[in-house]
Amino acid sequence: MPFTRRDFLIRSSGFVTVSAMVPRWAVKGATRFEESVAADYPNRTLVVLELMGGNDGLNTVVPFTDPLYGTLRSRIGIPTGSVLQLDSRQGMNPVMTGLKALWDAKRVAVVTNVGYPNSSLSHFQSRDIWHTADPTLAQRFGWLGRWADSVLAGSDNPLSCTAISQSLPKTLLAEHVRVPTFLSLASYQFQTDGSFPGDHTNQVNAFLAQNGAEYEIENTPSTLSGVGQDAISSSNILQTVGTGYVAMGAYPDNSLGAGLELIAQIINANLGARILYVTYGGFDNHAGEDVSHDPLLTDVSDSIKAFFDDLDGHGKSHDVLLMTWSEFGRRAQDNGSNGTDHGTSAPHFVVGDAVVSGVHGDPPDLAHLDSNGNLSIQNDFRSYYGTVLSDWLGADSSAILGPGWPNLGFLNKSYA
Amino acid sequence: MSVNWTRDAAAHLLRRAGFGGTPAEIDALFARGQEGAVSYLVDYDAIDTSSYESALAARNYNLLKTIGLQQWFMDRMAFSPRPLEEKMTYFWNLHWTSGISKVKGATLILNQNKTERTLAMGKFDDLVLAISQDPAMLVWLDNDTNKASKPNENYARELMELFTLGIGNYTQTDVTEVARALTGWTVQNYNKATNYNQATFVNNPNTHDNGSKTILGQTGNFDGTDAIGIILNHADSAGSVSGRFLGAKLWLYFAGTEAADYLVDELQGVYVSSGRMIREVVRTILLHDDFYADHTLKTWVRSPAEYAVASVRMLEADSDFSSAANSLAGMGQVLFNPSDAKGWDWGIAWMNTGALFARATLSNTLATNRGTSGTHFDTTALLAGADASTAEKVVDLLASRLNVDDVSSEVRSSWVDYMNRNDDGSLGTWTNTSANVDKKVRGLVHVMLTSPAFHLA
Repeated sequence: MPFTRRDFLIRSSGFVTVSAMVPRWAVKGATRFEESVAADYPNRTLVVLELMGGNDGLNTVVPFTDPLYGTLRSRIGIPTGSVLQLDSRQGMNPVMTGLKALWDAKRVAVVTNVGYPNSSLSHFQSRDIWHTADPTLAQRFGWLGRWADSVLAGSDNPLSCTAISQSLPKTLLAEHVRVPTFLSLASYQFQTDGSFPGDHTNQVNAFLAQNGAEYEIENTPSTLSGVGQDAISSSNILQTVGTGYVAMGAYPDNSLGAGLELIAQIINANLGARILYVTYGGFDNHAGEDVSHDPLLTDVSDSIKAFFDDLDGHGKSHDVLLMTWSEFGRRAQDNGSNGTDHGTSAPHFVVGDAVVSGVHGDPPDLAHLDSNGNLSIQNDFRSYYGTVLSDWLGADSSAILGPGWPNLGFLNKSYA
Repeated sequence: MSVNWTRDAAAHLLRRAGFGGTPAEIDALFARGQEGAVSYLVDYDAIDTSSYESALAARNYNLLKTIGLQQWFMDRMAFSPRPLEEKMTYFWNLHWTSGISKVKGATLILNQNKTERTLAMGKFDDLVLAISQDPAMLVWLDNDTNKASKPNENYARELMELFTLGIGNYTQTDVTEVARALTGWTVQNYNKATNYNQATFVNNPNTHDNGSKTILGQTGNFDGTDAIGIILNHADSAGSVSGRFLGAKLWLYFAGTEAADYLVDELQGVYVSSGRMIREVVRTILLHDDFYADHTLKTWVRSPAEYAVASVRMLEADSDFSSAANSLAGMGQVLFNPSDAKGWDWGIAWMNTGALFARATLSNTLATNRGTSGTHFDTTALLAGADASTAEKVVDLLASRLNVDDVSSEVRSSWVDYMNRNDDGSLGTWTNTSANVDKKVRGLVHVMLTSPAFHLA
């Protein structure tokens, strides 16, 4: 991505003097921008879970009554008698007992056949398309970044959007809203010379001052200097969120469990978090899926269950909705490596008390695959997003996604 | 218009074609003149590495472990007398590195790195063929299980999308047809008994698809070598597709900006006329007026490995790169273990709040290490022979050494202010005493290493 030296180094008007080293934010609730959007629900939090690599939908929600399933999945198919039945035609992978328990409590909506037409089947292009909600790739910012710009711009809360991730997910890339990003809080602070603790504040001030200059980068919304400022401001708040926190759910010992526990801590600390993002990888199962996929689904299912148990235990689940996405599903027929190649549509999960519990959409149509052997699309992913934008975040989804994406009805419009 | 060859231009060249230089190295490169400097870097086979290789071997990095491989590679980046050889090896590492978590065999990963180094500047065809038959890559992108009748598309797709042509320059049919051509290229002796380290390439005729394939408009009973040839020869109305793809990516890597169309055309032309010699494309870039233009200076966001290496090299520190290797995950780049085939996104994507703190923690470890192991440098040596009597002079000296002397006057003032500031926050006057050097010079190094100006090369 192009930058210019002029943009980086010459625009230094934003210098922060040492005497001005006060936090430029304060934690509070609705901002004036939020108040200007009548339908916004400032107390609600959306948790986005990205399954990286392209999750195999057919082995996640199994069309167990379709005889073609066993034919197409002769190597790695789930024994149809073992599925956790959702309705008369579809069932969860048998390892997903945690998510099934939430289903049984009417807290899960399954949205089937989600995707977009004419996919190139590239991970990276498809990921960009899902991040930006734009198959033409003309959008510079993420779909939730655009939402954040419309609702949160001007907010001085540095933690309105946070990613538990190694890098900033493009979904949250915004023009005006910055997103603290980290995998853990263990070293999420500016450390200085232990031999001279009295010099700590001086070093922090120097760090802030050099980052106070405007180092804008052409064609990117973020700036290096802004990252430094946001690092300090978010760190000051986040250092305490784990203090005395007792998890009320049995998180599995993996990065997703740890990430969702951190998210629960942030929610519990009442920091005004609106979007919290977490990723889990390993789903690109071209080979050996028979060995690797079930453990991944176990991690996902158990982590989500622990997360809602934890929220329930702290009385926090009412204002939290979790949604999953993945860049694509996988080829209907398994390959010669006991795996699956890149596909198109897949089912996704929406979890929380606001859902209209049930399966939204048909089972995948295995009798009518496209010329590449891939599944057809029933629910455009922009309808999937739009339903969350309008019914959970109270936003004008057409302003963010463009007009014409039907609401899929998986959220309770009168939830309050 | 010819380049105004200055010492700053030499420093820029050394930041981009290497990992930054010491004042003496910049002086020496500047003295060669522009063409001499570029030739010295590019035609690096002339530089003897035997004493460095001996010193590296004596460090005894554990090459059977990921951390040992990371230490070994960063040591090479920092201390090899051939900086561009390592910078190009690192380019290929970023271009198509395979992940050890899937490949498992550390020796296979090491061998892939050695292949990239050996062929880094040669004919692109040779490198693409070697990587396509590289055991780590065969396992990483599943071509080891790509067999006739039920092909596995993983490598075939990324070969075209990520490695040679770019998306939009092939169809899904080309993917399945290239996959068929690549059937039979697999590994043997890949097993747990040898910790997966003994695998070698084998072409298994029994699993190769001998049928006719149609790849990018050509039809025949192609094998993997044929497919690679067709891919690299592929041209559209704008000429060589791989020449555009590779030229643009190398330009971005070295110049830190997207290549304008006329630059892509020029690099594509060199790629074709040289017989796809990578060295000539790189030479063209490093001699190009646009490479030295203002708009390319300080635009490359150092990746985590480059950041760690540059700090060691520019401070003339000694390092075993253990702290750097241990910091890579937090900084967002576990060398030799990318999360997917694309590797890491470059540029501003490296920078986020967590990664920034991880960089700051690493540089604090470097700046405050007063011992003689790990990563350590000599504060008094940094000031030796210079007038370091005032805060301003120390700031200017270190800013020049770290190539961060291009900051605004306000930022410079903040550094001077830091030097003069007392523990109670009051403003004093820094004086050159050994105690003040130990405290504030180390502190200033830490602060400068965490400045935007040092995250950029």
